[in-house]
Formats: sequence, C-alpha cells, structure tokens
Amino acid sequence: MPSGRAVTTETVGVDRRGGAAVDPYRLVVTILAYALPIVFILVPLAMFLVQSFYHVEDGRIVRDLTLVNYERFFTAAAFLPVFVRTCALALGVAAITVALAYPVAFLLASLEGRRKYALTLVFVIPLLMSYIIKIYAIRSILGGNGFLNRILLYLGVIDQPVTFLIFNLNAVLLTLSVILLPFAILPIFVALERIPRNILDASADLGASSWRTFRSIIWPLGLQGTVIGASFTFMLALGDFVTPQMVGGTSGFTFGRIIYSQFGFAFNWPFGAALSVVLLVVVMIAIVLAGRLSRPGHPS
Amino acid sequence: MIRLPRAATALLALVAGFVALLLYGPLFVAIFFSFFRLERNAVRWDSFSFDAYGALVQNEGIIEAIGNTLIVGGAAVALSLIIGTLLAFHYHGGRSRAREVLQFIIFLPFLMPPIITGLALLIFFREADIPRSLVTVVIGHTVFVLVLVYRIVLARLQSLPPSLVEASLDLGASRWQTFRHVLAPSLTSALISAAILAFALSFDETLITLLVTGTSSTLPMRLWAMMRMGFTPDINALVTVILAGSTALSLLALRFVKPPRALE
Repeated sequence: MPSGRAVTTETVGVDRRGGAAVDPYRLVVTILAYALPIVFILVPLAMFLVQSFYHVEDGRIVRDLTLVNYERFFTAAAFLPVFVRTCALALGVAAITVALAYPVAFLLASLEGRRKYALTLVFVIPLLMSYIIKIYAIRSILGGNGFLNRILLYLGVIDQPVTFLIFNLNAVLLTLSVILLPFAILPIFVALERIPRNILDASADLGASSWRTFRSIIWPLGLQGTVIGASFTFMLALGDFVTPQMVGGTSGFTFGRIIYSQFGFAFNWPFGAALSVVLLVVVMIAIVLAGRLSRPGHPS
Repeated sequence: MIRLPRAATALLALVAGFVALLLYGPLFVAIFFSFFRLERNAVRWDSFSFDAYGALVQNEGIIEAIGNTLIVGGAAVALSLIIGTLLAFHYHGGRSRAREVLQFIIFLPFLMPPIITGLALLIFFREADIPRSLVTVVIGHTVFVLVLVYRIVLARLQSLPPSLVEASLDLGASRWQTFRHVLAPSLTSALISAAILAFALSFDETLITLLVTGTSSTLPMRLWAMMRMGFTPDINALVTVILAGSTALSLLALRFVKPPRALE
C-alpha cells in the first residue's frame, strides 16, 4: 500500500507541531490509526472492486480484467427485471417507513418532559432488538397458518386462510417496512427536535395557522432528517437477502438473494461482486440525490 | 413544539399506536406462544408451562451458539473500544485533510449496505488466505461497530474544554498522566455506553456474519437455521430469552447515555 504509507508520513509531519523531539507514542498511534482502517476497510473494498472484473471459467477464477460480468448483467434476461423490481421494492419500503415514521417523530417532538423521554425509548429500543427474531415473528403472523389468519377465521371475516400475505413480494415489502421503521423514526425525530422553538412562536405570533407553520417552517427544516431516514431504509432494504429468503418464497426473489447465491451454490464470486458493484452504484446515486434534495436553503 | 389542534394530536397518537403495535405485536405473539400451546386454532389456556425453556437448556447447538456469540461480542467490543478510542484521539488531535479521509473510511461500512461490507471482507479473507472462522467474524463485527465507538468517544472528547488538558500539562503532568488522571475518568461513561451498544449490535449482526463465518455459528445464524425448519415452541422460548437480554442491554446502555437536554 504505497499510497497509505505516503498519507501516514505526511500526517506525522503535520502532527509534530514545532516539537523538536520525536514523540514515539504519537507516531505509533498515528500509524495504527491509519493502518487498521486501511487494511480492513479500504483494501477489502478495493479487492472487491477488482474481483468484479475477473471471471470464472471451468469453475476457476481467471484473473484477467474483463467486463464480461457487467455485460452479462445488462444482456441476460434474468437479471435486469429482478434488479428493477428490487429497486422499486426498496423505494416502496422507504415510502411506507417515512409515511409512518413522520407522524410518530412529530408526536414525539411535540411532547414534553418524562413522557417524551419514555415514548422516545419505546420507538428507539426496537433498533437494538434482534433483526432475525423480528422476521420470524412477523412471518409467524402473516403465514397461512399464522396469527392474522387465525384471528380473521375466528372472527368469521374469511372462511379460508388467505395466502397473498406470505411467500411473495408483498410479504417482503411488509416485513422490511416493519423492521426498518425505527431507522426512519430516529433521524426525523432528531431533525424536528432541532428546530428552534422561537421560530415556531414567531410564526404563531405573526398569525400563521398550525398548517401554515408546518408547511413553511417545520417541513422544510425537518426535510434533511426525513431524507436521511428514507435513504437509510432504502439502502438497507435494497441489500437485504435474509428477509426475502425467509418470507419471500420463490416469487419474492430479490437482487440481494441473487448476489448471495453467487457466493453459495452458484459459486461465481466475480459475477456476484459485479452485481454488488451495481447495487453500490445505486446506493451512491441515492445518497447524492438525497444530499441534493435536502440541502438547506432549497425549500420546495 | 407546536400547538396542535386536538384532532391532529389524536390522529398522530393513533398512527403512533399503530406503529407501536407493528413493532411490538409480533414479538408479543412469539413470547406468548413460548408459554402456551395451540390446538385446532384455539389457545389452550391451561397449557401454560416452561417446557420449551427446559428443552432449550438441553439443546447443545444453542448453548454452543450462545457461547460463540458471547466470545465474538466480547472480542469485537474490546477491539472496537481500543481502535475506536485511538481513532477518536487521533482525529481530535488536530485538523488535516488526511484526518477527514480517515473518518470517511471508518464511516464506509455504515454507509454501505451490509452485504457489500460482508462480501468485501469475504473476498479479502480469501485473497489473503485467512480461513473463515470465528476470528473472521470478529473482524467483520469490529469493522461494523467501530464507527459507533468512534463517534461516541469523539463526541465526549469534543465536549471537554481544551483548558482541562492544557491546565494538566501546564501543571507539569506528563502526557500519560494527563490521559490517565484527566481524560480517562471523563471518558468512562462514554466508553461504557459505547461498549454496551457495540455489544448489542454485534449480538444481533446477521448479514455480515452469514458471509464471513466458517462452520461455527452465532445465535442469529443458529436461529435462522432453526426457523427454516418451521415453528417450534423452543424457538419461541429462545426468542423470548434473547428479547429479554437485548431489552435489558438497551435499558442499561441508556442509563449511561445522558438524555439530550431537551429530553430531561
């Protein structure tokens, strides 16, 4: 890593502010501070990018740089539709989570004192609760033999268990939305919380209605948090491969599952890496767009 | 924050109640069925028992998975605390372009979908000839939780008045003494909450683990394998135990994280 070393020495030079004696502690700290993230984050990412230009022949990885993996993604009929569908799914998840999270965050921000603290905990603690358990619990509710069907049967609303809720894309959409909700609530809450109260008071004093205050002040000032929440849930939904596998069945095939299968039984690592690069590009586009959308000073 | 019409508040509360139901309802159903049995679509109210929990203790696969999870969590917490603190001190030590780049690198695993981080590490381990094992899982978890520790420690460092360190140095304390007697005590609560949060994240990490693990499995993976078979009371029992654990952890962490002033 010649580039890494160059960065390190340069910074050490900057760090020794006028000190004549070399400080060995500082030197070690600086070297470690740069070496570890570079080795375990940057190098793997670089290898991963390079891998996407290799290809597999007769079950072995050929280390020549080619574009065949990307060509296959764009030309073979199997991949693009799943990719587009997965992007739409992730957008759906982002829309649902933000639509539900915004009122919750708004309510939390409008409360006072201990009530606010306690209720905020209620909506933040699920962030630390097991992801796989939530999938399992939701599956046991949505399933043909699940809790929801039993209740509906018991109440006489239906006389046959409904099956459209499990093992398809609807199930993936619903499950991901529920799991990712807290990821949207938190950033929106933080953004709304930061709005200075005196601005709101001024707005009310000047005779603006609650709705007008919301539209002209709260919404634009909270927009950044809203966009962060949406991009969080979009990104996490886009790359997930466990949820679709647990509740998606055969018709709920997503891009994440295709990628994962390249590293399992399909055993085509370079192709899997190329597909992940495509995924990463979408995430980066989403982040850039989100940054544009939420830039302060551009109220819609 | 804003004086709302009654009807609007009621509507917001309704949505919030619905969201709470979505978040907690499924979990309560799972907890409920770890104690009760179903027969012909009806709950047998007289079937209350701890049998499912008994079966859990005898399941060696689960005991081993719990052990693995604790080992991985402990190691990842220790490593991320050391490295995260180191990075926070380095970043706090001055301003430079290199520091900003470094900070961006640490943030990457958090900004990308977990599948990317996992795959990049998987490819790295194979290229570097490191066999997949619990060690690789520890590395994966450390990379993932590092930024959390880093942010918490850095936030605390930035909240300390610089005069504190200057005074200590002026009074003749060495760098180490200043760290030991001035900085470390003010960092303790930040480090504890960072450790608990990092442990909670590692405890639950599934997507990266699935990609970088060898033959030994952690709890989420064991659960995944069990759930593919179907629903059994002992899965519900295990789910209940884990939920109790993670709730306790979150509450514990919050005792050490000071609520923002607005929340007090």
